[in-house]
Amino acid sequence: MSVLTLRQAPPERLDFLNINPLALGRLSQGEAERLPVGTTRRGLRLGDCFSVSLDGADTLVVEGGHERLDRVGAALADGTLRVVGDVGQRLGEGMTGGVLSVSGHAGPFAATGATGGTITIAGDAGDHAGGAVYAAKAGLDGATLIVRGRAGRHLGDRMRRGLILAGDAGDMAGSRMIAGTIAARSVGDHPGYGMRRGTLVVGGHGAMSPTFVETGTHDLVFLRLLARALKRLSPEHAELIDRPLRRYSGDLATIGKGEIWASA
Amino acid sequence: MAAWIKGGATDADGAIAAAATLLSAAHAPVVAGLCADVAAVRAAYRLAGSIGASVDTAGAEGTYADLGSLSRVGAMTATPAEAVGRADVVLAVGARPWGAPLLKRLSETKPTRGRAAGAARSLLALGGPSGTGAALACPAEAGLPAALAHLRAYQRGHLAGDGPVADLATRLAAAQYGVVLYDPAELGEAGVEMLTGLVMGLNETTRCFALALAGPDQDRAVVQVAAWTTGQPPRVGFGRHVPEHDPWRFDAARQAAAGEVDAVLWLAALPAPRPGWLSTLPAIALVGAGSAGAEAAEIVIEVGVPGESLGGVLWNEGRAALTYRAATGPTDLPSAADVLARITHAIATGKDA
Repeated sequence: MSVLTLRQAPPERLDFLNINPLALGRLSQGEAERLPVGTTRRGLRLGDCFSVSLDGADTLVVEGGHERLDRVGAALADGTLRVVGDVGQRLGEGMTGGVLSVSGHAGPFAATGATGGTITIAGDAGDHAGGAVYAAKAGLDGATLIVRGRAGRHLGDRMRRGLILAGDAGDMAGSRMIAGTIAARSVGDHPGYGMRRGTLVVGGHGAMSPTFVETGTHDLVFLRLLARALKRLSPEHAELIDRPLRRYSGDLATIGKGEIWASA
Repeated sequence: MAAWIKGGATDADGAIAAAATLLSAAHAPVVAGLCADVAAVRAAYRLAGSIGASVDTAGAEGTYADLGSLSRVGAMTATPAEAVGRADVVLAVGARPWGAPLLKRLSETKPTRGRAAGAARSLLALGGPSGTGAALACPAEAGLPAALAHLRAYQRGHLAGDGPVADLATRLAAAQYGVVLYDPAELGEAGVEMLTGLVMGLNETTRCFALALAGPDQDRAVVQVAAWTTGQPPRVGFGRHVPEHDPWRFDAARQAAAGEVDAVLWLAALPAPRPGWLSTLPAIALVGAGSAGAEAAEIVIEVGVPGESLGGVLWNEGRAALTYRAATGPTDLPSAADVLARITHAIATGKDA
């Protein structure tokens, strides 16, 4: 198990795009310490902020996170990356596989464009978790994102594929969704704003947009299959589905093939 | 030329040398505001590139609401001159258009060109203030984005029935040339994208265009300068020697609040409201003559106002294009571009020494 230990709070935002177990496994101690991570003209290197201990394993632990660590686990393809502490924006951006977990909070745009693997945030996530960054075609794109705490606004904005589980979420959860599944204990106002396809399962919700129409209370086989799939990841979310649910169809402002399942 | 350092009056050379010293010592400087003519904005990008600063604009909130939507779904827009000449139906979304001179002009004129020439012009309102005199006014109690979604659902035929929203959708569809007037900052990115979808849907059967009101800033000009300079939208950072675009990371207000900035250059040759965070940081302000005094920042340098005391290329809202504005009076003040070039030069030569 390789370990990076934060020595002191970083003086600027750091870019962790190139810091992952696979990349570090091929480097010597000195080479790893010289990896550039700074984003200003200070030219900070990994060894300036972290003490590095490598053993070539496919597990990397970042001991001591900070909200200025951007793109932690970005483009992760394999292996395990664990952060003890907080992280900044774009956690696991474009990740294709492996396991990424954060014990603290995450900044905005967590799991954006991630096509595979599992991302777990024990604390809260910022706005646009599983959402698309500027000019990106899609947000979450096949990976699994689990936010144990609270997610901000625009959870799963323009997500295209994959699964998001969240505790509570802010306004406009599932906005502009292309496809995929979001389950949350509760969401704020206007869930599914502008969604095209996709499924939201919510325990409670704020104001519903007038462009979602109620289509009755159902007990479908699909929901039981979904519950079984969720049970492995989070029994709490599977429980949201173990009762008849009210279905809303929308967003009628778009093609309207999305659905929101809410407790009846 | 008037210049102040920490409230004390000084000469131009002293203020420029002090600005160069402040910026060369900074690790993460920010160049913000960019409310100036094209030459000054170009000089600001050159300065930012040479010192590894990040760039932000005065009206970035609205600019990015529009750009975010544009980058994903495109846009269908008209210029104010086209709207005045051709529109027979104008829908004003939100409260801000009702304070705009353009709407007053639209309400006082009739279409003179195109398919709707000679017809009457009707003004419609969605979520505007009361007592506007609009032919049809729909409230937006749930917020403008939700109201736009509701309207678009009727326009697509996914919702049907009577009521003001259905009536609004019918009137837009029946228009020869509709124009939807809005303020991007008021709508937000999700709202602008919904509005664009509405406009594009209407174009299946008739003509309809979106028309965003420009703010008092020069952001429209900056977007063009940024595109031809860096190939990116305005909010870029040069910290790693290449222009990196990141609208969240280089939001100057966020950076200031998070303590990630150690020096600011505020460029406002044209009047622009100064953000609160400016006074909390070591700052250099380039301000138009008479628009601010020594209290604006640690180092203040007065420059000529483009289009008034100096000639300069500015955004022409009516024609939606960059236009040269000649000076209307003489001045002994330097241009902002000149001051920025001198600061850049002082930093470069200071490094060599």
